[in-house]
Amino acid sequence: MTEDEFIEKLKRHNASAYARLLDDFQQKVFATCISFVPSKEDAEDIAQEVFVEVFNSIGTFKGNSKLSTWIYRITTNKCLEFIRKRNTKKRFGFMQSLLGHEMPLDKSHYFTEVNHPGVILENKEKSDILFYAINQLPNAQKVVFILHKIDGKSYQEISDIIEKSFSSVESLMFRAKKNLRTLLENFYKNNK
Amino acid sequence: MDRDKNIQNQIDETINVSERIQKVSVSAFFKDKTMQVLFADKKEEESRIWLWFTPKLQLASLVCIIILNVIAYTRMQQATYDHHVSQFAESYGLSTPNQFSLLK
Repeated sequence: MTEDEFIEKLKRHNASAYARLLDDFQQKVFATCISFVPSKEDAEDIAQEVFVEVFNSIGTFKGNSKLSTWIYRITTNKCLEFIRKRNTKKRFGFMQSLLGHEMPLDKSHYFTEVNHPGVILENKEKSDILFYAINQLPNAQKVVFILHKIDGKSYQEISDIIEKSFSSVESLMFRAKKNLRTLLENFYKNNK
Repeated sequence: MDRDKNIQNQIDETINVSERIQKVSVSAFFKDKTMQVLFADKKEEESRIWLWFTPKLQLASLVCIIILNVIAYTRMQQATYDHHVSQFAESYGLSTPNQFSLLK
């Protein structure tokens, strides 16, 4: 079956086509989600939302890019949306604790609670710091750094997903690394 | 000098942690759960066709069906009774059959 025929079946909401889509993409989508969101439960919830979005929006898929690229684009957007919502909730919770309406919270940021099952215990502290620092980066730099360094995607794949040129991806990666070093340097200087 | 070098080492180690994160597998039931979510919504949409058939209407329809059945049953009983009475009257010569016979 060609990709066009497969997409047609997806557009007709054919159950066996979705079963095949899940077989092909569940691990890949989940891997991208857990690269952004270091908690297995949250990553699975986002991955499920991705497939629901694919199901609801497949009719609008024009075929300008590969199906996989389109799915990864949805995944990236869903992850960023989740992080933004979670950080807003945390900030609200922190404000409430200041006003005395709730039990005091000692954390105001989602990425202070890194619970990534792929991080071994001896790296736990460093990965907490790394995820916290990554999430201080501007969104474009954050996406490029996570997709390349954590999810293991190539610059070309990232370029297709974020719809930017190869050289823009390289430039974003360079700036991401530079900013990350500055953020980490400040962190270690202040915590000495 | 040593302090700066130490900080740089820590930064390098922290950044390198990203390359040492192990692969995590998705739960075994993820596919089934997702398929259920995708196609349960569809079933819900299909059932919307019957949304107009509210419980009140269902009850009213049930009452109508019961009344119709009761009427039909009583009519049937009545018809059988009349039939028996006319048969009795005929057999004892109390009435003449409605059908005309050439033998008589």
